Amino acid sequence: MNLQFVLNGKPWRVECEAQETLAEVLRNTLNLNGTKVSCEVQVCGACTVLVDGAPVSACTYLAYEARGKNVTTIEGLEKPDGTLDPLQQAFIDEFAFQCGFCTPGMIMSAKALLDENPAPTRAEIIHYMDGNICRCTGYVPIVAAIQRAAQAMGKETKK
Amino acid sequence: MSAEKKPDFHVVNHAVPRRDARVKVTGKAQYVADLKLIGMAYAKVLRSPYAHAKILSIDASRATAHPGVYCVVTGNDLEGLNPYYGHAVKDHPLLAIDKVRYAGEAVAAVVAVDERTAFEALELIDVKYEELNAVFTPQEAMAEDAPLLHEKQFEAGALRGFEGEVTAGKGSNICQKHHIKWGNVEEAFKNAAAVVEGDYYFPMTYAYAMEAYVAIADVTDQGVNIYSSAQHPFMVRHDLKSVFNLPVSKVRLIVPFVGGGYGSKSYTKIEPLVAACSWKAKRPVKLQLTVEEAMLTTRSDDAYTWMRTAVDANGKIIARQAKIFMNTGAYAENSPLVVEKSTNRCVGPYAIPNVLIENCSLYTNTVPASSYRGFGCAQVTLPGESQIDELAAKIGKDPYEFRLANAAKPGEEFFPGMRPFDGTLKQDLDTAARAIGWNTPLAKGHGRGVACSGSDAGAYPLTSTVVRVHADGSVTIMTGSTELGQGSHTVLPQIAAEELGVDFDKVNVVSSDTAITPYDRSTGASRTTTLMGSAVLEASREAIQQMVVMAADVLKVKVEDIQTVRGGVRCGEAQLNWSEVISKFYALPDGEVIGRSYIRKSGRFSALPVFWEAAATGVEISVDQETGKITMEKLATVGDVGLAINPALAEGQDIGAATMGMGIGLFEELIYEGSQLVNGSILDYRLPRFSDLPKEVELHLVQNQDGVGPYGAKGGGEASLNSMAANIANAVDRATGVRIRHAPLTPEKVWRALKDKNIQGSKV
Amino acid sequence: MMPLRRFAMHQPKSVAEASQMLAEFGEKGRLYAGGTELLLAMKHDLLRYEHLIDVKTIPGLNKIELKNGTLNIGGAATHRAIEHSPAVKENLPVLAQMENNVANVRVRASGTLGGNLCFAEPHSDPAALLLALGAKAHLQAKSVRRTVTIDKLITGSYETSLGADELLEGIEIPLAGKSQRAAYVKFQLKERPTLGLALVLDVDGDNIKKAKAVVGSVSPMPTESDKANGLLTGSRAQVEKQLLDAAGALAQAADPVDDLEGGADYKRHLIGVFLKRAFIKALA
Repeated sequence: MNLQFVLNGKPWRVECEAQETLAEVLRNTLNLNGTKVSCEVQVCGACTVLVDGAPVSACTYLAYEARGKNVTTIEGLEKPDGTLDPLQQAFIDEFAFQCGFCTPGMIMSAKALLDENPAPTRAEIIHYMDGNICRCTGYVPIVAAIQRAAQAMGKETKK
Repeated sequence: MSAEKKPDFHVVNHAVPRRDARVKVTGKAQYVADLKLIGMAYAKVLRSPYAHAKILSIDASRATAHPGVYCVVTGNDLEGLNPYYGHAVKDHPLLAIDKVRYAGEAVAAVVAVDERTAFEALELIDVKYEELNAVFTPQEAMAEDAPLLHEKQFEAGALRGFEGEVTAGKGSNICQKHHIKWGNVEEAFKNAAAVVEGDYYFPMTYAYAMEAYVAIADVTDQGVNIYSSAQHPFMVRHDLKSVFNLPVSKVRLIVPFVGGGYGSKSYTKIEPLVAACSWKAKRPVKLQLTVEEAMLTTRSDDAYTWMRTAVDANGKIIARQAKIFMNTGAYAENSPLVVEKSTNRCVGPYAIPNVLIENCSLYTNTVPASSYRGFGCAQVTLPGESQIDELAAKIGKDPYEFRLANAAKPGEEFFPGMRPFDGTLKQDLDTAARAIGWNTPLAKGHGRGVACSGSDAGAYPLTSTVVRVHADGSVTIMTGSTELGQGSHTVLPQIAAEELGVDFDKVNVVSSDTAITPYDRSTGASRTTTLMGSAVLEASREAIQQMVVMAADVLKVKVEDIQTVRGGVRCGEAQLNWSEVISKFYALPDGEVIGRSYIRKSGRFSALPVFWEAAATGVEISVDQETGKITMEKLATVGDVGLAINPALAEGQDIGAATMGMGIGLFEELIYEGSQLVNGSILDYRLPRFSDLPKEVELHLVQNQDGVGPYGAKGGGEASLNSMAANIANAVDRATGVRIRHAPLTPEKVWRALKDKNIQGSKV
Repeated sequence: MMPLRRFAMHQPKSVAEASQMLAEFGEKGRLYAGGTELLLAMKHDLLRYEHLIDVKTIPGLNKIELKNGTLNIGGAATHRAIEHSPAVKENLPVLAQMENNVANVRVRASGTLGGNLCFAEPHSDPAALLLALGAKAHLQAKSVRRTVTIDKLITGSYETSLGADELLEGIEIPLAGKSQRAAYVKFQLKERPTLGLALVLDVDGDNIKKAKAVVGSVSPMPTESDKANGLLTGSRAQVEKQLLDAAGALAQAADPVDDLEGGADYKRHLIGVFLKRAFIKALA
C-alpha cells in the first residue's frame, strides 16, 4: 500500500505492506534506526514513538495505522541547529542511561508525559513511565532527568 | 600503585558527562541491530520443540525451494567446519548434530532475502525426532538411571581459564566439580557454640540485555568478518578460529555499541551459527534473535545450596561448609568458571578458619547457563549472607555488629593463597547502615537489612592497549574493551586526559575491533577500569617518555634536562606542549607518537584475584501481610571502588546492579514446567520497573585508593547485586519473623510462609 | 524481529459491510480493532489470518457519549480515549480510573475496549468492572442486532458468544446516579492482572440496598455470585461482618485456577483481601 504520513514534521510517502509494523518501516525502509526494538510484546517501550502525540509501541503498531497521521521519533527531537530537546539534555546531565538501548523510547515516553502533564509529581512520573523498562540504571536518574526537564521547560515557558 | 595518592585530579574522579551521551539521546548510536551490509541476507532459526531427542532426519527441500530463500543450514551441512565450540569445554555444536539437548535449541537456519521470508520457510523444514528421556534439575541429572546428555568426551577449550578436569562425556551428567578446603570443619562444628544450617535455592534468571543477541557475518576467502553484540570479541575470535580452522589474523570481530550485557553477552553465542550461514550462503548474513529466542540462549545457573555456619562463644565465625549443585543446562558455556567462582565466593568477605565448600554443576535438558552479573556470587551470597543474619539472631547479636566483628580486614589474607583483602568493609557496612537509619525505630511490618559481598574479581590479567598522541595534541585510545553502557568510552579517556594533560574532549576511543585494537581478554568481571585503565595509564606514560626523548632531540638538549609538565615539557625557559613536540620532531604538523602497554600476570598483577570486589547494600522493606507483597522503602548502595574515575558512572553501576539484585530478590525467575520454559517472554518474566523504585535511594562510594588499578581504583558494578536477595530475605525475617531461603520472594511465597507460620503459631 | 505473516487489510465503511466481510472470509478473517492482543498472538504464530477487517474505519464506532442516562462507548474507542473522556471522568470515574491502569500507556493508546472484550483474554481488567456496572453489549450481524450482558458475551477463556459474522458495535453502561458507589481494585505482579475485583453498591445513607461484586482474572471469565451479592447488602456494619462470607461465596463461584499468576488457594485468599479493599474504597 502507499502510505502517506508526516514524519518528524515532514510529509513522507512510502510503499509498505499491511503486515509491516511501523518499526519495520522506520528501520528497514526509511533507515531511521533510532527507534529500537526489544521485547516485541509491548512491555519494554524501547520502540516508543508518538502518533498524533500519543505514545505507541512501533514494534506492534501497524505502519498502516500511521496513514495521514503525525509520527514523531527520537530523530525528530533535536532541532535543526543542533539544540537538544530539554529532555535529551536532562538525560545527559543526570546520566540517565548506560547502554542507551532503552533511551530513545524512554525519552519519547517522557516527552508524551510532559506534553500531557508539564509538571508531573514523582508518583505521576512513575505511573506514566511504568511501561518503559531500563535494565541498566535502576530508574533513579531517569526520574531525576524527567523532573529536571520539566523544570527547565517550565522556566522556558515562564520567560 | 596504592601509595600514589593524587588529591588534585584534573579529569579523573570528576563526573564528566558520558562520551557517548549525545549519540545515545538522539538515536544516532549504532548497535549491530542497526547495521546493514550491501548484499546482506537474513537468517531465522528453527528450534527444537523437544527437550531431549534424536534427530532422525531433516528434510529442508521444501524450505530451500521457497521463493526468496538462499539456503537452509542444518547440522548435516557442516562438513569442512569444526562445528563444536566453547572456550571452557568444546561441547556446543553451532547447530544441533544428531540430537537436541533442550527445547529451544537451534536445529536449522534459513537464509533468505529478508526476515519475513526466512521466517515463513521455517515451517517448511521437516524434522523427524525420536524423543528421549530428559532431566531438568541437578537431582534428576544425578539419578542412577538418568539419561546422558553428552555421550562423547570433549576437549578442554584452549582458553578454559582454570585447571579443573573436563568431566563431560565420562559417563555422567556432571559438567564441573570444584572444591575449596582449609582447617577442619568437622572438628569446628563439633566445638561450635552455635550453628545454623539450611537449604537455599537461587533461581534461573535472565539478564534481559534489551538488545537481543545479534550478529552479521561475512565469510569469504579473505577470512571471517563479524559484527557482533559480544562483550569479549577476542574470546569469540578464538572460537571462530577453531570452527573455521583459520589463523586469528583472518578472523575479525567488530563490536559497536552494545545494548546491555550483564554477563549474558560474554563468550561466544550465535557467532559460529551466523558465520556458518554466511559460509554456506556465500554472502553476508545477519541473524537478529528476538528477546524470546535470547531467553532460549543463555540464562544464569540456578543453584541448590546446603550450607552451615558456626560461631564460637565469642561470636567469632569459626566454620562454614556448603554443598552446592548448580544447574548448567545443556551445554557448559562458561559455567565451569561460574562453578569455580561461586565456590570461592561462599566464604563471603569473612575470615573463617575452617572451610569446606563442594560444588558440582550438572548438565540438564534446559537452556544453557553461563555468566551473569556477579558471576556465581549472587547464587552463594543468598545462603551466605542469610546465614550471617540467622546466626546473629540465634546468638542474640545485632546482625550489623556481627558482620563488623567477622568481616575481613584491610590487608588480611582471609582466603589462603589469594591476594590480601584490599577493601574496607567496616566503612562500607557503616555507610550502608547509616544511610538506611539502621538504629532508628522501625515501623510495624517493616524490616531492615545490611549485607555485603566480596568477589575474587578481575578475571585473568591479560590486556594491552595503544594510546596514539597526534600532532595536533589530540589522542586516540585503541582498546579491546567493549562499551556496554558501563562507561569505558568515558573512563578510559579520562585517564589518558589526566596523564597526558590534554582536554578530555580531545581524547577519542576506538574499541573492540580485533583487526585493529590490541588484545584484551574480556570486558567482564568488573575488570576494565582496573586492567584496561592501568594499560591506558601506562601507555600514556610510555608515550610521554617517547615525547621527552623527542623533545630533547627538538631542543638539542640531553634527555635528563627535559622536565615534564602537565600537557608537555619544559627545559629552562623553553616550554613545549605535545603538539609542538610532535610537529617539531617530524617537521610537519602531522604524524603521531604511539604509546603502548601490556598487562600480564606479573608485577602488581601477579597475585590473584586482580582485586576483591566489595560492596555493601542496605535495605528497608515493608510487607503487606495480606498479600505477601514486599515494598522497597529504602535502598542504599556502597561501592568500595578504591577511587571512582567517574563517580556518577560508578554510582550508576551500583544502583543498576542493586536493582537487578532486587529483581531476583522479589520476582525474577525463569520457570520450567516439564520440558518447557513457561515464562519465556517479557510478558511473564517480571523485570524491575519504575513502580518498583525504592521510595528512598542513597548511593555512596568508599574511595580509599586501595585498589591495584589506576590511582588506587578497582572495579565495581557487580557487587551491589550479590547481596540484595539475602538482604531482602533478612529484612523480611525482621519484619515478619519468617525466614525464606528460596529466591525470589514473590508475594505468593511470602504469603505462604506467613500462613505456615500462623498455623504453626496457633498450634503452640 | 518476530515478523507478522502476510495478510490483507480491509476497511469496511459500515457494521453491515464488516459483517459481510466476516461471512465471506470465514476462518481466514478476523476483526481488527487495535491489535494489542491480536497482533501479539499472530506474532507468536498462535493465530493466523489472511484477512484483517479494520473496524476502526467504520464511522462513529469510536464514539463516547451520554444518552438517556446511559454511557455509550463504541467498540473501537481506545482505552486512552475512555480514560481521558470528560464524560467518563465526570459520570463514571471508576471506569476512567480502571482504564488508567490497563496495561501501559502505549497499549491504552492503541488498544480498544471492544477489541479487549472480544479477545476475551482472561487476565484482563475491563470485563469485570463492566459486568459489575451492569453494562450491555450491542452486537450486530449483517441484519440482526442483539443486546447481551457481559457475562453472556464472554463465555470462557478467549471465548465469546459472538456469531461468525457478528461484531461488537458498542457498550452501554447505565448511569445509576448519586446513590452508586463503585470501586475497581486489582492485584498485579506481571503484565496482566492476577486478580481484579469490581464492586458496585447502591447505597441509601448507611444502608446498602443493592450490591454487585465481580472478580476477574482468577478464572476463565469474570464471575459474580448471587449469594455474595446478597451478603453485601444490608446495613454497612452488618455487611462489614459478612465480608469474609461474601468473599467465600464469590471465591466458590469463581473457582480460581492455578496458573503462572498464582495458586488457586492464594487467589481465593486474595478475593477476600480485595473485596474488603474494594468495599473500603467504594465507601470512602
